[in-house]
Amino acid sequence: MKSTLFAIALLAASIPMVYAQGNYEIQVYGAETVAPRNTMVELHSNFTVDGQRGYVQDAAPTYHAEHETVEITQGINDWSEVGFYIFTSEQSGLGAQWVGDHIRPRVRVPEKWRWPVGVSLSTEVGYQRALFSPDTWTWEIRPIVDKTSGRWYFAVNPALERTWHGPDVNLGVGFSPAAKISYDFTKKITGGFEYYADYGSITNIASLHNQQQQLFPAIDLNVSPDWEINFGVGIGPTAATDHWIVKGIVGRRFDWGHKKKTS
Amino acid sequence: MYGASLAAATVISRQALHPSVDAQASLFVPRSLRPTTDSPPDYRIEISEIEWELSPKKKVHTAAYNGQVPGQLIRLQEGKPASIEIVNRLDHAEIVHWHGQWIPPDVDGSMEEGSPMIAPGGQTRIAFTPRPSGLHWYHTHAMANRDLKHGLYSGQFGPLYVEPRTNPGQYDQEQFILLHDWDPYYSASDDGSLMVDYVAGSINGRMLGSDAPIQVREGQRILFHIVNASATEPHWLALPGHQFQVLALDGRPVPNQAKVDALRLGPAERVSALVTMDAPGVWILGEVRTAFRNSGMGTVIEYAGRTGKPQFIPPDRLQWDYRAFADLVPAKHKPDVTVPLIFASKFQGHGALDRWMINGKSYPETALVFLQEGLRHRLVFDNRSVDDHPIHLHRHAFELVSIKGAALSGVLKDVVIVEAGSVVEVDLVANNPGNTLFHCHQQDHMDSGFMALFRYA
Repeated sequence: MKSTLFAIALLAASIPMVYAQGNYEIQVYGAETVAPRNTMVELHSNFTVDGQRGYVQDAAPTYHAEHETVEITQGINDWSEVGFYIFTSEQSGLGAQWVGDHIRPRVRVPEKWRWPVGVSLSTEVGYQRALFSPDTWTWEIRPIVDKTSGRWYFAVNPALERTWHGPDVNLGVGFSPAAKISYDFTKKITGGFEYYADYGSITNIASLHNQQQQLFPAIDLNVSPDWEINFGVGIGPTAATDHWIVKGIVGRRFDWGHKKKTS
Repeated sequence: MYGASLAAATVISRQALHPSVDAQASLFVPRSLRPTTDSPPDYRIEISEIEWELSPKKKVHTAAYNGQVPGQLIRLQEGKPASIEIVNRLDHAEIVHWHGQWIPPDVDGSMEEGSPMIAPGGQTRIAFTPRPSGLHWYHTHAMANRDLKHGLYSGQFGPLYVEPRTNPGQYDQEQFILLHDWDPYYSASDDGSLMVDYVAGSINGRMLGSDAPIQVREGQRILFHIVNASATEPHWLALPGHQFQVLALDGRPVPNQAKVDALRLGPAERVSALVTMDAPGVWILGEVRTAFRNSGMGTVIEYAGRTGKPQFIPPDRLQWDYRAFADLVPAKHKPDVTVPLIFASKFQGHGALDRWMINGKSYPETALVFLQEGLRHRLVFDNRSVDDHPIHLHRHAFELVSIKGAALSGVLKDVVIVEAGSVVEVDLVANNPGNTLFHCHQQDHMDSGFMALFRYA
């Protein structure tokens, strides 16, 4: 799985102010899916160095919170996969807590269709405890388009979110795009920028001040086809964004029999 | 012999001869040199676009020889001059290479050596004296670059069998088997670089189940002549319940006719193997790996009086070692000259093909290798990349003398797979003067610089 980086979870808590940031899984999706009979296990470790310090709608602050997310993705065939998430949080005063779970089926345009760009579509449904997110049941649909050209890689994820249960249930569809641009400095080291945002409702875009806007200088280490390693530091310039986040992803692919056709 | 006489000293860039670039008209067979002889050629090859049915559900649009895939079997007599007329009905220049033949460079079918391209709509007639005998093949030697419709990604290939002056073979039936992969596309490889993958595979131009079964009778001895005509893929082939007695590799008889459960053929490799039909049933002769077999690479072997669904049972283990067919003693002769050849790649990005190099340079910048006529040259293939490479030398055969440090002798080939990170040594006796192309037979590798020209000093 190459550059399967994806983003999620800048959970909109109120409009026009967009806050109560998730920080459980910070990744820009690539269009590629996990190969059939392969399982990808990823650990997302995100530490909010400087973030929301008080409770928001009874949701816990993010300041100095350590969020660990286990993501398990199973390849179904050469054009689909299903991912499952376990979100946890550890912070002063609350200790280690289970936050919630999501499930994420995804389909893609197979490579053999030879589209000029990679395209896939994921949808994610899940629950998170109100202590960590006022909106407890949410749904997301995420188109994914990416392109690798020489040493350059581009990906955009114009995600749409909907709350099924919680304060934002009547606020309609939120817009949470993510994007990535990176450059292969060597075969093993790729560096670039990842962008994550939450603009609030698509029918009532929040002011810039109240939007979540975050930019991560990030590095991918391509040490092995079986490992995925990503590291980044996020800068959030707006009032509604956690100002500093350090994120890391370590993923390991397990092959249960499928081999690429080339030997 | 007909055809243009080119300046042998010219080193031609393959980039400049990409099918989309037809500006190199001076390198083509001039219309004035079209044959005027009234005598008919021994064979005629017409290159044209066709719609080819791999199966009732799968068609491909491709270039092919004489409207069929593979091209017709060309049978020639060793030592008896033959003439071939080639007509190019395509809209780009083409060239036909006589793989495995020790023939002059101007008819070998490589523009780097000096063979002229055949212009769009043009034709030529070549003549050569076939040698050596055995299983060989003919195929396009045009480059494809990033266009996966050209070169060996297309259907431009066919079997060539040169009858020996004396034929010691004893068999009841002869079957030519040509493997090919179709509908190529770029995908990400496990090592992070771009690679070519395929939608479909075929044996003799048909996907598994789409061709008439090969009919056999119990007790028959079937001589299989197998060519891997894939542009890039090595293949493993097995016939459940049967063993292959390998008689020849790349058309050259082997000293030890060992029996094996499965054959491995790198791109352009050939195996002639005898199979005694002693396991009645309906079987699939096919790619051992399920993904390839499911994509079509297989054909049915049906014993007389047997019916039912064709069966495939993979062999217990896949093992291929050239040493199994060799004398396990060092080569008798010491080399006169040693030529180190280091293979390496240069990363161009996860979205690009690697650039391939021999001794640090990509063709056409690769250094000329000078051969001295009559001397024994030890070529040391030092593969420092993470890919296996089917290394091919035109117009000559070489003797395998060591693989990963283990000595062997007696096996003569013109293609050898040099596994990733390994060293293979071969001995070449320079006995066929003229420009000689040396390259990896993976189309994407040779198009990306993995070539060098050998020249007689």
